Amino acid sequence: MRRVAITGIGVITPLGNDVESFVTGLAHGRSGIVRLTRPPATRGDDAGNSQARKHIGGVVAFDPSLHFSGPQLRMLDRVSQFALVAADQAVRAAGIVWDDIDRERCGVFLGTGMGGAETTDEGYHTLYAERTERVKPFSVLMAMSNAAASWIGIEYRLTGPNLTFSTACSSSAVAIGEAAQRIRNGEVDLMLAGGSEAPLSLGTLVAWDALKTLATEDPLEPGASCRPFSKDRTGLVLAEGAAIVVLEEWEQARARGTHIHAEFTGYGLCADGAHITRPTIEGQAAAMRRALATAALQPQDIGYINAHGTATLANDVVETAAIRQVFGNYAPCVPVSSTKSMHGHLLGAAGAIEFAAAVLAMERRMLPPTINLRVADPECDLDYVPGRARTGVTTRAIMSNSFGFGGTNAVLIARNSEGH
Amino acid sequence: MTTLQTLQHILKTNFDLEPEVLATDARLADLEIDSLAIVEVLFAVEDEFKVTVPSEPVAQQTSLKTVGDLVAYIDRLVAEQAPVSNLGAPV
Repeated sequence: MRRVAITGIGVITPLGNDVESFVTGLAHGRSGIVRLTRPPATRGDDAGNSQARKHIGGVVAFDPSLHFSGPQLRMLDRVSQFALVAADQAVRAAGIVWDDIDRERCGVFLGTGMGGAETTDEGYHTLYAERTERVKPFSVLMAMSNAAASWIGIEYRLTGPNLTFSTACSSSAVAIGEAAQRIRNGEVDLMLAGGSEAPLSLGTLVAWDALKTLATEDPLEPGASCRPFSKDRTGLVLAEGAAIVVLEEWEQARARGTHIHAEFTGYGLCADGAHITRPTIEGQAAAMRRALATAALQPQDIGYINAHGTATLANDVVETAAIRQVFGNYAPCVPVSSTKSMHGHLLGAAGAIEFAAAVLAMERRMLPPTINLRVADPECDLDYVPGRARTGVTTRAIMSNSFGFGGTNAVLIARNSEGH
Repeated sequence: MTTLQTLQHILKTNFDLEPEVLATDARLADLEIDSLAIVEVLFAVEDEFKVTVPSEPVAQQTSLKTVGDLVAYIDRLVAEQAPVSNLGAPV
């Protein structure tokens, strides 16, 4: 089995639009969650604006005109804009010279939960609010779920596999895991893998709100509304952004002499097969066990877990129990944090952004905290790195958990590559 | 405004193309207006000229090679779809 190196990371997040500001935000326990003045992805009339003010979200500060021309932008939903810019960062960071690489053996695997939701929202606005059928001619091309992955493939003219995975909140963890598998088994040599999501349009916010899974806004501090593992947690906070990693066959990466962030070693995939929303301890535990088995690691080799940690009542209790089941006596010793407390829930991009956070945490010897954890929950009794990041912590391997509505569980493991 | 001027306005707004490069003999391919882009141009044409572009004319659109071809096509649509008085209209 071939080995897989992580050689590039690109991020667009509510904590910042490059790796350095993202890591700084995580290390300082900063929140990227704000009260929305208007959904950034919705052009709105006054009625829309007043509705939008009821919502909070993890918002990306992003000026598309800095990255794309006018004609390009009219073809690109916000979800594709994020994906392209994150891919550009990752490719540059990896120092890839495409002309030296066989592009037939390079591909793109991306995860997204909702695809071009902004375009869909705009189309409905035109049709039902403006009461005309003047829906933009590129609506289909902008809203289709595979648009973001396709644009990345077109940008770099990659002719290997180009796939989009949609398993709700585990989408991009699946994309990264599947991409690594293709490299391991020799089908491809280099993959751009990750996820993108832009769900802060009014239609999407309202639909999520109707499901009663969204957090109540903290009356004093909107940024403190997402409280994973805290007894006073009230739900998740939607967020937008993207994360792309460059995965590369180990020997090729070594031969190029490029920086290797970590070695990708473990991927556990399974489905609950039980309920459309309610997670199962058995399913989550099975995904963690499979990831450990593929990585040939023991639980005590894992020095940090980036939890799925959505801050919903159900998830945090079930995930805690699943970690206990897999890690046994070692469970209280392994630091577990939910960075969603800071960047919010990026849905289809969550798995990728959190895997990136965990890999960077290992590389920088900095364990990001779970912020807003103020009230102990007897059913959530692990070490959640509450409040403040821990620095100077060496870890041999990290685990990143992602569990989606629909029941698809994906767990990723990366190993510290220092000394290899 | 002439048809050409209105079209130049559309192409400036949608494609950042300056009127100077949009002479009637300018080739659409050279302006990077491909068959997909023409769909978007015609969408704007529908709004500006208050005409309906028939949805079948893919072949017709690909026969549009120059800015002048586009102007002639628009003029024909406008002529064909000009509101006519009911008096004397065929029943």
